[in-house]
Amino acid sequence: MNANFPTVRLGALRKSYRVGESSVEALKGVSLEVGGGEMVALTGPSGSGKSTLLNLCGLIDTPDAGSRELCGTALDSLDELSLTRLRREKVGFIFQGFNLVPVMTVYDNVEYPLLLLGVAPAERRRRVTEALGRVGLESFALRLPDALSGGQRQRVAIARALIKAPALVIADEPTANLDSATARQIVDLLHELAHERNASVVVATHDERMSSHCDRVLHLIDGELQ
Amino acid sequence: MKWLVFAWKNVMRNRRRSLTAMLITAFGTAAVLASGGFALYTYESLEEMTARDSGHVVVAHSRGFDGDEDVPLQYGLADATGLAAKFAALPGVRAVAPRVQFSGLISNGDKSAVFVGSGVVPEIDFRLRGPQMSFSAGRPPATNAPAPEVVIGDELARLMKARVGTSLTLLATTTEGNLNAVDVVVSGIAGVGVPEIDKRLVLADLASVQRLLLSDKVGTLSIYLKETADTEAVAARVRGAQPDQAVKTWRDLAVFYQAVRALYNRIFGILGVIMICIVLFAMSNTLGMAVVERTREIGTLRAIGTLPGEVVRNFVFEGMVIGGAGAVAGMVLAGGATVALLFAGIDMPPPPGRSAGYPLFLSFSPLLYGAVTLVVITLAAAAAWMVSRHAANKPVTEALAHV
Ligand SMILES: Nc1ncnc2c1ncn2[C@@H]1O[C@H](COP(=O)(O)OP(=O)(O)OP(=O)(O)O)[C@@H](O)[C@H]1O
Ligand SMILES: [Mg+2]
Repeated sequence: MNANFPTVRLGALRKSYRVGESSVEALKGVSLEVGGGEMVALTGPSGSGKSTLLNLCGLIDTPDAGSRELCGTALDSLDELSLTRLRREKVGFIFQGFNLVPVMTVYDNVEYPLLLLGVAPAERRRRVTEALGRVGLESFALRLPDALSGGQRQRVAIARALIKAPALVIADEPTANLDSATARQIVDLLHELAHERNASVVVATHDERMSSHCDRVLHLIDGELQ
Repeated sequence: MKWLVFAWKNVMRNRRRSLTAMLITAFGTAAVLASGGFALYTYESLEEMTARDSGHVVVAHSRGFDGDEDVPLQYGLADATGLAAKFAALPGVRAVAPRVQFSGLISNGDKSAVFVGSGVVPEIDFRLRGPQMSFSAGRPPATNAPAPEVVIGDELARLMKARVGTSLTLLATTTEGNLNAVDVVVSGIAGVGVPEIDKRLVLADLASVQRLLLSDKVGTLSIYLKETADTEAVAARVRGAQPDQAVKTWRDLAVFYQAVRALYNRIFGILGVIMICIVLFAMSNTLGMAVVERTREIGTLRAIGTLPGEVVRNFVFEGMVIGGAGAVAGMVLAGGATVALLFAGIDMPPPPGRSAGYPLFLSFSPLLYGAVTLVVITLAAAAAWMVSRHAANKPVTEALAHV
């Protein structure tokens, strides 16, 4: 990773949604830079555009206007296939609803991103075992996600997001479905692992504890950063 | 391998639904294999039947097949013995049977009927015809009997009130255009199972027929081969060696075989098309539901870097797992039916124009099984591709928002 570039650079991003005849402006020109290894919290009331911004950051949606760079690569002219390949290499996702693949074991869920990257089997085994150890789930490797608690599932998701040592992790309300004690563990874990692997994290949250761990807290209101 | 395991796990996600699609595919496969096996068996039987009747390759005078002779043997073959010896020396030839077709009236003194006869060399001919001609009484004509002997059709025997040993008179036009008669003794009564033929059938010793017709020519030389598959090769050699003579294969002469084959190909072709539609429908239904249910999961996989093509590929593998399992189950069903019928002793009713039914057997053809399996798996893959393509290319946020 080139240290001269911020992990993410967003310039004057706009995004609106069509709803029937009218359109909703979800983002009204948002500019943002996230440095390497930086953890940024995105707060704001419901409907303020947090998820919209995260989706643009994480390359799973395209803006109506504005510019985007990931690790120094301009994204504006890239097609969906190139964006997918960039996500595969550089972006990890953590979802509010965990989004694990229910027919895959914990082990297989965590291994999946490495399969996509074509990592050799021995190397995969080493890294998955290590990652599962790191989130404290070695003994759950062969379980299916259904047999885990919410907190455990989110730990699997964290392992899955970080296994490929991504430059960027996108987390949209990762603790919203968890009780507060579990939420704290998840926050600590995400913070710790991201820091260890020098991954930048952008996390949308209502959770005070989450923002208190972050290097920077951004406030979004009505599609504009305050 | 990992991907196939993943596909298998996804197939097992909704067992009942996958099982239904698998069973439909299995029954479709079995139906195609069984009906295909039946068609093949019929073709093979008819091939053998026709080849046993006419010989694999038939040689005649250049106009011998035209059927417009003014008098018998006008277009006959002169040096039959020499030609027969020449053909018999060709590789793959089992025997050469000279024949004279003739017709006329047969009489028992009280009443007469039209006959259609063949002069044959009994030792060669009756051996080659095998089970196709069944004797209800007596034996083939002897060559050196004091009075010429004949085998007559069982229907004709009934008409003539003839039994083995009965004397009858054959009346025919000679090669010179006059009428000639010969007294014959019935040595055997036989049938080929086609009433139209059996009520006119007369088989006599070749030499006696030549004496009756006042000629030493023969009408045709039927070349019998060891392997039916060699037919075209031998026919080509004979054509090359005898440019002045007409050469036909059993296939050219087998009007009935050709007609049945054309009919069956059409019937079973339509059946095949119906099966293709059913399998396509079952597979796209099952996989389509799976795709809809898993749209959010598709979104997740796409978000973490799975290409649309890889998502589609996973569904294609699922389709192939279901289709493959269905094809295997179908092969087991059809194979089981094939074996069971060997022991069941079920008879088909007589085909049109025939007096006897025939046993219901199915042919086993590895080529047919292989081809059908390939088609079924390809269909399953195509169905999976069709139903997953759209979801795999949906915008990721849209797929993730799917409930
Ligand atoms: N797919 C969509 N179609 C139409 N409008 C949308 C869509 N997604 C978001 N919006 C609108 O865009 C605005 C921003 O939504 P967004 O989901 O980004 O907000 P948010 O800050 O993530 O809210 P929350 O805290 O409830 O998750 C809202 O007004 C929302 O109604
Ligand atoms: Mg949101």
